[in-house]
Amino acid sequence: MEIKNIKLSQLPAFFDQLIKSGKVVIAPVMKKSGKVFFERVQSYSQVATDYIQTGFSAKSVVFPKVEVLFSFNKTDDGIDIKDSITDIPETIVWGLRPCDGSAFNYMTEFFLKENPDVYYAARKAKTTLIAISCAKADDACFCTSVGLTPGSTEGSDLLLTTMGEDVYVEVITEKGKAAIDLSASLFSVNEERSKEKYLAKIDTKFSLTEIKERIKTAYDSAEWKNESMGCFGCGACAFSCPTCTCFDIQDEGTQNKGQRLRCWDACGFGQFTKHASGHNPKTNQTQRRRQRLMHKFQYSVENLGIVSCVGCGRCIRVCPAHLNIFENILSVTQ
Amino acid sequence: MTPLQNKVAELFENGTISLMIGYKNAINKLAVPCFIDHATQVEQLIYTPECKGNLSVYLHKAEIKQAKKIGILANIATLRSLVQLTSENQLSDIEKTVITINAQNEVLVFDNMEKVEEYVQANFPEYTEEDKKLLEQLNSMTRAERWQYWSEQFAACVKCYACRAVCPMCYCSSCTVECNQPQWIKVSSETTGNLEWHTMRAMHLAGRCINCGECGRICPVGIPVHLLTAQMNLDIEKEFGSKTGFSCNSGYALNTFKPEDKEQFIK
Amino acid sequence: MEPKNQYIPYKMRIASITEEAPLVQTYRLEFVDEKDAEQFTFRAGQFAEYGVFGEGESTFCIASSPTREGYLECTFRSTGRVTKALANCELNDIIGLRGPFGNTFPIEEWYGKNIVFVTGGIALPPLRCVIWNLLDQREKFGDITIYYGARSVNDLVYKEELEEWSSRSDVKLYVTVDPGGETPEWKGLVGFVPTVLEQNPPKSDNAVAIVAGPPILIKMGMPILSKNGFDNANIYTTLENRMKCGVGKCGHCTVGKTYVCKDGPVFTYEEVLKMPAEY
Repeated sequence: MEIKNIKLSQLPAFFDQLIKSGKVVIAPVMKKSGKVFFERVQSYSQVATDYIQTGFSAKSVVFPKVEVLFSFNKTDDGIDIKDSITDIPETIVWGLRPCDGSAFNYMTEFFLKENPDVYYAARKAKTTLIAISCAKADDACFCTSVGLTPGSTEGSDLLLTTMGEDVYVEVITEKGKAAIDLSASLFSVNEERSKEKYLAKIDTKFSLTEIKERIKTAYDSAEWKNESMGCFGCGACAFSCPTCTCFDIQDEGTQNKGQRLRCWDACGFGQFTKHASGHNPKTNQTQRRRQRLMHKFQYSVENLGIVSCVGCGRCIRVCPAHLNIFENILSVTQ
Repeated sequence: MTPLQNKVAELFENGTISLMIGYKNAINKLAVPCFIDHATQVEQLIYTPECKGNLSVYLHKAEIKQAKKIGILANIATLRSLVQLTSENQLSDIEKTVITINAQNEVLVFDNMEKVEEYVQANFPEYTEEDKKLLEQLNSMTRAERWQYWSEQFAACVKCYACRAVCPMCYCSSCTVECNQPQWIKVSSETTGNLEWHTMRAMHLAGRCINCGECGRICPVGIPVHLLTAQMNLDIEKEFGSKTGFSCNSGYALNTFKPEDKEQFIK
Repeated sequence: MEPKNQYIPYKMRIASITEEAPLVQTYRLEFVDEKDAEQFTFRAGQFAEYGVFGEGESTFCIASSPTREGYLECTFRSTGRVTKALANCELNDIIGLRGPFGNTFPIEEWYGKNIVFVTGGIALPPLRCVIWNLLDQREKFGDITIYYGARSVNDLVYKEELEEWSSRSDVKLYVTVDPGGETPEWKGLVGFVPTVLEQNPPKSDNAVAIVAGPPILIKMGMPILSKNGFDNANIYTTLENRMKCGVGKCGHCTVGKTYVCKDGPVFTYEEVLKMPAEY
């Protein structure tokens, strides 16, 4: 992997070149509420630099909360259908965390391996991910328990790690190289070195090897009920999660003219599995929460060989009842 | 053991309760709901200023109702919810014991709702300074500015429905947003549809919301959605003189009729 | 080659409408575009997403046999927003169709075997596809036995085809209605399908059974067949969880790790027993 260096003081200049490239640049922005969210920005002055984790992940860049699958228009001799794939812009995501970068790896595997999703493919192809290592963490962070670190490069195109007055730049992919080539003069050659002492210290909550083994028989654990008791059945965990990919398909407009959309959906909602007949295969919140957690640690491993929880801790932070995924997992695999 | 823990242990041991809904410590210095079904587990229980969540919402949950004899640790907001829910005939099937801790740090146990009502009326809370300030700001805006403010706020809504999920007054078994014949409110998340959803919810809660502020506090995108109903409550109090979560027999201002009501249309 | 956009529907013209039972209709659909018709193939057991533009999509199996070319049929009960809009369509209206999705019944593996169908209500359509598929190559199979029931006489679907099957000497047909659902003229059986199945047990020698129905019939029917000596690997069913995408992405239809839409909808009892009962 190519390693570069840029002065910390030169980051705004690098960022400005990204903006000037004409691509859409998405970066963390501090909102009035004090929470940080990814948003389209026009200058480095808008970018939040002191944050542990964004409220929501950057998944909306490749899997928007609402996406037009196609629009339709009835005419005298039939119906015109037009998809929206050609309208997707080139996008740069700045400042996502390494855990989120690895989440893109999972999503790519999920969306493209079997029955490839053309919308995801088009968006992902046009997205460059510039990740920033974590110098700080909170108690909800647990990437080190799921095989990642605050400096993991998986899934990202470029990883920036601040080391005093310098920024250590790992050029992970060709897309990452193209991004720094926009301001080649700002980057100097660098040697590979350890990032360790510049990264947040995050204790491991469990041994992933043990959990992966034990969860195989965890479906019938009596603990699911206790661990789900506090769950209200909202979609906060799923919507903030960087690897939750469930969606609904909805039509809007009239029968003559309108759009077919796909919208984020959440397996915690009571309606999610409800049949038209009224029969519901997952009748209670215990079953629904179990589905979500088993999916992260067991089903995605069986289907794709990947633990699809990246330890970002968002679901813990946003949960109205602050249900704690790593405590839940420990409890049901006891 | 703290006096609270002792009291709850006693309630388990003498058979008054079989399930206790309270708070426990969690990571990031949070207090989170906990559910205890045995006296041996009471040491988890805490009661600190961090115990902000409104636990009364759990009384609507089927898994909780199975417990039959429920103890609930209640802050003032939860107490008001219990009063309001009682006035809406929502708690009659639950055998409950309500526990609170007063300003003098004494553990109080209420075995009936009259006592809860009495306590609530004697300790009726004001709006928080922060909410007063925010409402003042909103009220000083022009209509256009206010529209702009809420449009910006609701553009960020992702329709996770956490606001509805944590609300003890949102107990409908089937919500308007889940009705698609006709589709009153769009499923997709976009500014107008989001505004429709929050307006609809606020209208259904006008004069029923007990100002616990949970919906605003827990919103994952930080929308101060509780201000909508907080303002409506002020309006209703002004017009009808009724306070929410104040009396177990008050009924609900918007579906109660009195001969002396000033409106003509109903006469 | 660019992968196909699986969300763009084929345009289908409603070529005929048959009233089957109260709120239940069969639509015969023809491709608007000749090219779509030429390259579209499916096999028994597969399903599709049928869409009314502006209202949404709904999931049903393909109810016609792949041996009958040039058209597709679907049978549906109008229940929700989409099926009601579908029911309001008129002859020659254009609707959307995505598919075919899912796996299939391994019909070639059944050559020379006796076949037993167990189904109820609006779950006959997925099996009707298989039944005609078999009847159109009748000589390749042994005995064919069909158990079918509905809530009432009026609720039985494909009434003319039931007549036809019952008059054929190469088909054994048990038609039953739930107690209280019979009419004075009714000459068939009265009783729930599982009861009729228990009272008239099919022979399990050299046989496969296919069960389709509301979840309760699947949950009750398969153990009865198993108890009667059918090998669990020779009892098939088709599950119909709620679906949106049809291609294993939207997450609605999952039963544990299994996506009913792409890993199913056809499963053997042996496979079902390994899955959580989330269907």
